[in-house]
Amino acid sequence: MIVSQGKENKLNSIIRASRIISRMNQASPEARKSNTLYYQMMADYYTRLLEASKEGEFIAAHTVFFPAEILYAMDIVPMHTETTTWMIALFTGHSADMLSAGVELGLASEICTPHRGLAGAFALGVLPRPSVMLWSNLVCDNTAKSGELLMEINHCPGFFIDHPFQRSEDEEKYLVGELTDMIHFLEEQSGRKMDWDRLADIVALMDRQIELLREINELRKAIPTPFNPQGFLQLLTIDYLFPGRPEAIEYLETLRDELADRVKAGQGAVSPERFRLMSLFIPPMYLIGFLEKISQEYGAVSVTEPFFTYWGEGTLDPAKPLESVAKKSYMLPEMRMYGPLDERALNGIVNCAEQYRVDGAIYYADVGCRHTCATIKLFRDVLDRIDVPVLTLDCDVVDPTITSEEDVRNKLEQFFELLEDRQ
Amino acid sequence: MFGWLCTYVPEEILHAAGALPIRITGYSKETELDDGNAYLYINTCSFSRSCLQLGLKGEYDFLDGVVGGSTCDGARRLFDLWRHYIGTPFYHVLTVPRKYTQPAHDLYHSQVKQFKTHLEEFLGIQITDESLYRSIVVYNESRNLLKRLYELRKFDTPPISGTETMEVLNTCFRMPKELFNEWLRSLLDELSIRENSHKSRARLMVVGSVMTNPEFIESIEELGGLVVTDELCTSTRYWSDPVVLDRNITPLQAISQRYLNNFPCARMFPSDERFNRILDLAREFRVDGVISQIVRYCVPYAHDLPLLTERLKGQGIPTLALDVEYGTPGSGQIRTRVQAFLEMLEAKRN
Amino acid sequence: MKALGIDAGSLTTKAVILGNDGILASCIVHSDDDVESSAKAAMEEVLNLAGVSFNNDLYTVSTGVGGKSVSFSHKKKTITTCLARGISYLVPSARTTIDMGAESSTVIKVNERGHIIDWVNHDKCAAGTGVFLQQMAKLMQMPVEEMSKLSLQAKSKADISGTCAVFAESEVISHVHRDPPTPKEEIIAGIHFSVVSRIISLCKRIGIERDVAVVGGVALNTGLVKIIEEELGFGILVPDRPQIVAALGAAVIARENMGKGAK
Repeated sequence: MIVSQGKENKLNSIIRASRIISRMNQASPEARKSNTLYYQMMADYYTRLLEASKEGEFIAAHTVFFPAEILYAMDIVPMHTETTTWMIALFTGHSADMLSAGVELGLASEICTPHRGLAGAFALGVLPRPSVMLWSNLVCDNTAKSGELLMEINHCPGFFIDHPFQRSEDEEKYLVGELTDMIHFLEEQSGRKMDWDRLADIVALMDRQIELLREINELRKAIPTPFNPQGFLQLLTIDYLFPGRPEAIEYLETLRDELADRVKAGQGAVSPERFRLMSLFIPPMYLIGFLEKISQEYGAVSVTEPFFTYWGEGTLDPAKPLESVAKKSYMLPEMRMYGPLDERALNGIVNCAEQYRVDGAIYYADVGCRHTCATIKLFRDVLDRIDVPVLTLDCDVVDPTITSEEDVRNKLEQFFELLEDRQ
Repeated sequence: MFGWLCTYVPEEILHAAGALPIRITGYSKETELDDGNAYLYINTCSFSRSCLQLGLKGEYDFLDGVVGGSTCDGARRLFDLWRHYIGTPFYHVLTVPRKYTQPAHDLYHSQVKQFKTHLEEFLGIQITDESLYRSIVVYNESRNLLKRLYELRKFDTPPISGTETMEVLNTCFRMPKELFNEWLRSLLDELSIRENSHKSRARLMVVGSVMTNPEFIESIEELGGLVVTDELCTSTRYWSDPVVLDRNITPLQAISQRYLNNFPCARMFPSDERFNRILDLAREFRVDGVISQIVRYCVPYAHDLPLLTERLKGQGIPTLALDVEYGTPGSGQIRTRVQAFLEMLEAKRN
Repeated sequence: MKALGIDAGSLTTKAVILGNDGILASCIVHSDDDVESSAKAAMEEVLNLAGVSFNNDLYTVSTGVGGKSVSFSHKKKTITTCLARGISYLVPSARTTIDMGAESSTVIKVNERGHIIDWVNHDKCAAGTGVFLQQMAKLMQMPVEEMSKLSLQAKSKADISGTCAVFAESEVISHVHRDPPTPKEEIIAGIHFSVVSRIISLCKRIGIERDVAVVGGVALNTGLVKIIEEELGFGILVPDRPQIVAALGAAVIARENMGKGAK
């Protein structure tokens, strides 16, 4: 099924773009140093991947919310499939090709675009061929079911991590068992051994990473908030690509210091800050620039994202590395969407809204993401308890044909007017 | 009375507790789902929307409890919203692993145990091993009788059509099993002397997730296709495997083993387990073609389709992929496509 | 000083002049490609009708698809905000307002002061909009108004899929060609029922609170309105000239801003 179409070019486009942005950022007097670091990290990640692909090294492709720490501990080159697909879509504008290739494979057109595009990307040879395919059922059926087709397309073996639905001693034990089995699988396939000391170090760094994220989140509570409107997407990417990495710590420490300075100086990300917003789920990637602009125009800024940046409680113990990796997966912000949505989970959202003094929330209702759309009414009703209005924006994270810029502008304008009316 | 959703909920436990288990199947016909759409949103699978609609309209208010498994996104969101908006007194969700390994079995068994305990606490009773054995016997009887019914469909001209079989299955979900067994026994007696009458242009198998509307099968059979077997959550997936009793294991263990190893739902890994069993059925029933009816927006089954189609092709069996709203009776579009499929199968035969 | 509201829509441009005691005049003119000239035409027409000369101070608020392109307006507001103010003025008891436009439908919730509490759009597909009804009217070979009257005569309704306009179309065709064919009124009743289901679904997303009002061109379709009432189980309010509600709302906002010394 693979038709090699110059895959190096696609990865190169990410690398080149990242390097350019990083340099531009460096040159600009107003830019954040953390921004420069971020794009440098992206360039390095994809350069490593590209080299590995050229040299025929062992590459482990993995889906989102996957414990990449394990790969780093075994010195295996990771390829985060969703992020890579999105990046390619963003920088080359070829999302349509990848999406229709997915349909040609036989996948229903209702399958969410990240997964459909992913399968299509592999089929088109746009992504490097991995040595193994690793996936889990976090956080939805699409992810759970994606692996087998990807194994067939790439003619490679794979491993599926079955993450239990709820949290109890038995279930955590099961998860640790799954991780152990996966490590055996990787050892067999790659010929490398798990370096447990290294994993312990990574766990210690991961713990620090989470701590820094919590500090950053605290700083964002300031009025006006210091972090730029769509900045949370950077934090997300750091989680996805660089768990337990020293460069991630460097980025977060730099960012934290920058934000702390801004808070001290009373400098807000947007001036004047008129609307503090809670973001529920991911805005359309291809509109990020536009959203940043419109945020500045209206003085609107996303101050909290309960499912992306709000980590659960707990610390990680390097003395128990594997248990900690399992524990971390339960602490992920996205895990709020996975287990049963009981009163406690719902109260978490309300607390978030109150702590960050949000004026309103924007629900990015990705047309293919079913399990998040199923909670729209529930979250609206819950936020209604504290009188926080919610805008539902039908969109798609990757496919630009679903919603136009015009449409998004209209809806946001209407929402901002509604918020204005209330003030 | 306890409502249950999904073939991964161990019904025998409810039965042994003296409860009447009722399968939650939503509307049997395609309906306007304003509440379902408003609460679950239009892009969630139409089966969960249908169930929630019925629940929000108060039609399930007679239930004392609901039990589900963490089986798929549609089901789990249905249960999240059910818990929040419909105040059924007893509510329980089992974690169902997606694998068949020993640790997975151990986990599922502990989940089943927890469920049993929760139920005992709620009802203020003890569910003894004795009562579990009794329930297993009753349920195995139903499974055996249904198996005999299906055996009749292996004939060239079976005495019972696919439509009628669906009606029998629907009855099964709504009646106490003891009564159902009695009724089915007499039906089987009747069929043994009924003339084998149903001829066909092609022998078909319907696969997919949930389906309960016999009109859908009727619309296929009216065109001359005979549905001789099926793979649905409401048919073979429900009754195929019996609980295997063994001196060395407790009845609860026997139940847990059966339910996890059961004819697979598309959510299970590896998918080949499901594919192989479908291929077996296709062989046993000498199926000419497969009609895949996937309820709109059902994710696991949609993901399986490309690989399943390939496997079936490998056995020389073509697949017709239909994308339907839950409860559809088989509209104009569907009939046209089935017609074309049947013509193709006939041409192939000749 | 007088308050002028202009709703520059894609098909028609509406204008309303508000005085101290109420609406002085309103008008609807055909929109041509040039928004500015349509808006000017509407303004001239409504000033004429009100007997107000051009020299009078006018505070203008514009809205609608072309609202931003009206150069002489002092403020631009979104259509939703204007609809909310407008309906609140005409029907003070209205809390839930359904705007059934040509290409999209919107449901707005307002409080007693005419401020929006919440709103929801349906604009991703045709089902549930005026365009759908027009499509169906073509299929049934009669004008939309006639179709709506006929639906009231049906004793029962055919089952027409409400999910998708394209499916609905093929189902209508199969009903027409059935043997014997399904009676026309029943098909039409089925079509209307589909449209209404979409609307009601939309309403349920933000909760239905009485009184419920309907605005927009499609509100003139009495058959449709009646079916909505049947489904809701209570009467709904339709203002006399449902197409000018947004322009009126714009005028109300203009009047609010006038007091703030804005010019």
